[in-house]
Amino acid sequence: MQDFPPRTATFFSGSDAAPSPDPDTRTPAAFLRWVLGQQKALIALSSLCYSLWFLPMTLGPWIFGRAVDDGIVGGSTAALLGWATLLLGVVLVGAVFGIVSHTLVVRTWLIGLYGALEMVTRKVVQMGHVLPRRSPTGEVLSVASSDSDEFGALTEILARTVGQLVSYLTVAFIVLTMSWQLGLLTLVAAPVLVGAALPLLRPLHRRQQLERSRTSDLTSLATDIVAGLRILRGIGGEQTFGANYDRQSQSAKEAGVAAGIWQAVVEAVGVLLSGIFLVALVWLGTRQVEAGTLTVGELITFLGYGLFMVGPIRTFFEFAQKGVRSMVSARKAIAIFEQRPPWRAPAEPVALDGTGALHDTTSGLTVQPGILTVVVSAVPEQSSALADRLGRYLPADTEPVPVDGDDGVRGRAARRARAEKARERARIAALDEERAGHDWGVTLGGVDLARADLADVRRQVLVSDTGSQLFAGTLQDAVDPHGRLTREQAEHALRVANAEDVYDALPEGWQGQLDERGRGLSGGQRQRVVLARAIAADPPVLVLVEPTSAVDAHTEARIAERVAGTRRGRTTVVTTVSPLWLHHADHVVLLHDGTVVAEGRHADLLAVDDYRRVVARALDEEEATR
Amino acid sequence: MSTGLSHDPLATSAATWRDRTEDPPAIPDELRPPQGVGVRERHRALWQRHALRRQRAEDVYAASRNPARGWPVSGNRAVLAFFGDLVRSRKKSFALLVALNALAAGSALVVPRLLGELVNRVQTQGAAVEGLDTLALVVVGVVLLQALFTFGAQRTSTHFGQDLLASAREYIVGTILRLPVGRVEGASTGDLVTRVTRDVGTMARSVQWGVPRLLISLLTVLLSVVAMLLNSVVLAVPALLVFSLCTPAVRTYLTRAPKAYITEGATYSRINTTLTETVEGARTVEALGLSAARVRAGSDDIEVSAQAERYGMTLRNVLFAALNGAFQVPQVVTLLVGAYAYGRGWVDLGQITAAMLYVVALSEPLDAVIGEVDRLQVGAASTSRLLGIAEVQPDREPGDRLPDGVELVGEDLRFAYREGHDVLHGVDLRLRTGERLAVVGPSGSGKSTLGRLLSGINRPRTGSARVGGVDLVDLPLEVLRTEVALVTQEHHVFIGTVRDNIVLAREDSSDDAVREALRAVGSLAWVERLPDGLDTMIGSGRFALTPAQAQQVALARLIIADPHTLVLDEATSLIDPRTARTLEGSMNNLLEGRTVVAIAHRLHTAHDADRIAVVMDGLVVELGSHDELIDLDGEYAALWRAWTS
Repeated sequence: MQDFPPRTATFFSGSDAAPSPDPDTRTPAAFLRWVLGQQKALIALSSLCYSLWFLPMTLGPWIFGRAVDDGIVGGSTAALLGWATLLLGVVLVGAVFGIVSHTLVVRTWLIGLYGALEMVTRKVVQMGHVLPRRSPTGEVLSVASSDSDEFGALTEILARTVGQLVSYLTVAFIVLTMSWQLGLLTLVAAPVLVGAALPLLRPLHRRQQLERSRTSDLTSLATDIVAGLRILRGIGGEQTFGANYDRQSQSAKEAGVAAGIWQAVVEAVGVLLSGIFLVALVWLGTRQVEAGTLTVGELITFLGYGLFMVGPIRTFFEFAQKGVRSMVSARKAIAIFEQRPPWRAPAEPVALDGTGALHDTTSGLTVQPGILTVVVSAVPEQSSALADRLGRYLPADTEPVPVDGDDGVRGRAARRARAEKARERARIAALDEERAGHDWGVTLGGVDLARADLADVRRQVLVSDTGSQLFAGTLQDAVDPHGRLTREQAEHALRVANAEDVYDALPEGWQGQLDERGRGLSGGQRQRVVLARAIAADPPVLVLVEPTSAVDAHTEARIAERVAGTRRGRTTVVTTVSPLWLHHADHVVLLHDGTVVAEGRHADLLAVDDYRRVVARALDEEEATR
Repeated sequence: MSTGLSHDPLATSAATWRDRTEDPPAIPDELRPPQGVGVRERHRALWQRHALRRQRAEDVYAASRNPARGWPVSGNRAVLAFFGDLVRSRKKSFALLVALNALAAGSALVVPRLLGELVNRVQTQGAAVEGLDTLALVVVGVVLLQALFTFGAQRTSTHFGQDLLASAREYIVGTILRLPVGRVEGASTGDLVTRVTRDVGTMARSVQWGVPRLLISLLTVLLSVVAMLLNSVVLAVPALLVFSLCTPAVRTYLTRAPKAYITEGATYSRINTTLTETVEGARTVEALGLSAARVRAGSDDIEVSAQAERYGMTLRNVLFAALNGAFQVPQVVTLLVGAYAYGRGWVDLGQITAAMLYVVALSEPLDAVIGEVDRLQVGAASTSRLLGIAEVQPDREPGDRLPDGVELVGEDLRFAYREGHDVLHGVDLRLRTGERLAVVGPSGSGKSTLGRLLSGINRPRTGSARVGGVDLVDLPLEVLRTEVALVTQEHHVFIGTVRDNIVLAREDSSDDAVREALRAVGSLAWVERLPDGLDTMIGSGRFALTPAQAQQVALARLIIADPHTLVLDEATSLIDPRTARTLEGSMNNLLEGRTVVAIAHRLHTAHDADRIAVVMDGLVVELGSHDELIDLDGEYAALWRAWTS
């Protein structure tokens, strides 16, 4: 029997083994069927256990009534003890299966939830840098943080609905055989009682929505205050923004009170209707007892069932609601899960030689092996585009397509908008495949990168771009994420990147914790730890994009010298305009409009006007800020 | 070139490096069920795992109450006192709340009695029953009353809960706005963000719903017991005794469950954090070949979360075992006792019917009491994190001396973030009024710390930073802000009107003053073109400003503050190079006529300054004009040559 956490290998197995089969992403309904189908035996079993758990509610009033009739009114002690024993038995069965079904339902829920979480992580690493180009980060995360829970909840409500249905039908059978009039009243009353509240629910929901939106505005105000707290405490403004918050808090309170009053109306109406229904039931019942067609015990049974039927009906409504919500979640999940990596593995992959020359056709750049080449460009985007090409990364030239948006739109307009977005996603996917499908235009040792396995490319060429990120963990994990280095190698990397102060600031040294994304470090510290990690990885070809942009001149000078020293004999490309790097470059290349227009040594290139202008422009900008 | 740090910072490296083959697994093996053993052994192992999981939950809870980093957390007593005060200040509405809910619950309890009476009459009088219709009408009347009381009670509860909540959150934000400047400048805001979002949310749920519902449920339970006893003592006592059997189980559950839920919550935020990093760093993951490692990190988080879930599940199962019995068995007891008492003529059928209805109805409020206490405890844990913010001690006691003059002097400045680790070793610096002083030096040399001391953000460990003869940290904040301002990279645009965003330092500024400031930074034209002028709402989710406009707003704030001295930390970052040209004039207008300390990354900033201070290893090692330092042929000169050659 399955248990949580589920073992999955969807999209990405983490080993040489093939991933498990992809989910059915053709339609939201098909996806939900697939999710439920993954654990159909468990769900069926928990449905069964649910109906046994409900047994005391389903049979209790009937047994109680029979006991009153036969045992109390009839005066038979044997009958009384018999019925009482049966009632006790039913209660015990209910108690046992209450626990069993709770255990099972936690299991199906968490298998659903954790399974979806695993799938998101695996899809993200399977797609790599391609996913952020297509889907907004927020949406990927919300599939994990909220939609995954909907899939778990769906397994629970499904099992409960089946259980309640069994119990509803059983009770219907019992009451109809006792008295068809009263039975019918009971069966009809339940949906009426639930349905009567529906017209009241719409205004209630409207007010709740207003409350939610004001509360969420309030939360943004609080977050905003915290985000700008340094300014508020440094420059001032506490009163203004404190008062703004208080005002919004009061308006959220008013919305909450308005919603609460409607809630009170709904509950009062519920009390009224169910009370009147009970009275009607008893009043009719007493008439029948009078007429001799109903026994007192049976009347008590009806009283017991009186409000029971509301439960199943509520569950059915809940099932409908959660079903709709799951469909929405499924649609969002599909938008992530249906994506495929654009890369096609070459039929006969050629092994790359990292000690060969690197050549980019688009810019005309040739990087000689074993030396430090610095690429200078007036437009930073052009050098980073070049770095992307050298590492076989698709350019960041697409706008991610959200699934959600335009909340106000419903019906046909919404469907049209969705179809529009689906087409846009398909267009980007087709474009990616187009680009990934033919020769890449960059050769390493004479071999086009497209003719090698992508994993081989990643091993040979490491591009450390400006978006490089640190992960939460120890400093040791940050510098040596694979756990392959010796201590001496890690120390060396830290020294080369001149990041010793980061080590020094952590009392626990290598085991000092870095927060997520290196939050808590200054921009310059973060950049140097990233650099240390890249140096430690020691790839045959290392491409560093603006590696010291947030670092002061003293440190930059030191880093440039040390990187040049440690990388001697290995191919290194650095994009920057800082003279402190250019000093140490074996070869300098000037890019203009994305193509190489001049190259040589820094000292020689200073004679070239274009070059002088670019290198000196950093100077101009400094001036401008003064 | 020297290293910038006198000792070897990596001296302890060998001691703190760890062999990762010895890393513990995500969860210890004892938490996995044993394979291929008998039922008894499995049963024993299950309880052993449960105990281990409890220990883990206790640890997580203890750590959350006593965070190693971040802001403090207050104790439970502070939470009780806080809510005690809030309730005490609302005595009237609290009394109304109790009264109305008691009436609603009371009227609800009359109904079963009357229904029992109906059954009685039918049973005893057989045919030709008298007054059945009248009795039915009376019940309808009671039901009507009950509905009315329910409405009134719910309404009061909402008012009470919402009002309590609003006061609580406004108080919390108030304390955040009073946090000491030094702490705010130094600490990461991530923890505070979590507190004002997640913890306020959790507190809201328990204050808004939990407090009133707990009251209602308790009242209902109490009145139900009274009603049962009034109905028939003989029938009530045995049933109530059975109900009370679950008390120990409930007590155990209630002491353990909140910790379990807090632990579960913590594991889900961890899952979220890891995944967020994986998604945002997708390219880094791909570049470094970390895919398998990130997937494993995610699976490990899930594994840990699953253990927390199992702990909660077992706790609930134990509770259910007790509750399912305790809530259902009273029916059987009522039946048996009822039959016996009926045989003796002690009770009639109507009383048995009413007793049965009471017994069935009692489980709901009892369940609710347990649920609400549960929820309140989780809410209390969040509240204690929120109240912890109020426990941060103020970092200064403003004196009443006002500066006499504008000269800023630092003497023998030393400062340590960690005890025994001074980052400044006695810096003396006398600013010349109106000069531009550039501070350069390698990272970690203490130049940012120097900036913070010179702007009165932190109190130096020894020595003093004084303006006009008064210690900066002894000035009231309102005064300090108009003397010297620290300008960092941040140019946060607040959610609020344009005016709100500018008047920060002098909140009573006139519109003319605001316009004047906007004109000085060259923003008046576009602000006046905005839909509502100065009243236009800007900031996240409102009218969006371009980066250049946001920077102008940040500069206009400083114009309003009008300090005679500005400390610019990484000031070049304040202005994005792409917008530099448009902002050149704005920046010049701001700096005009003020003393400026610029902590600079780039050497050209230094080149154009009146004086340059080279900070190395917590000391000013060179001080003078560009030309003087070049002549000195020291650190600065070496660097300058490297830069320009």
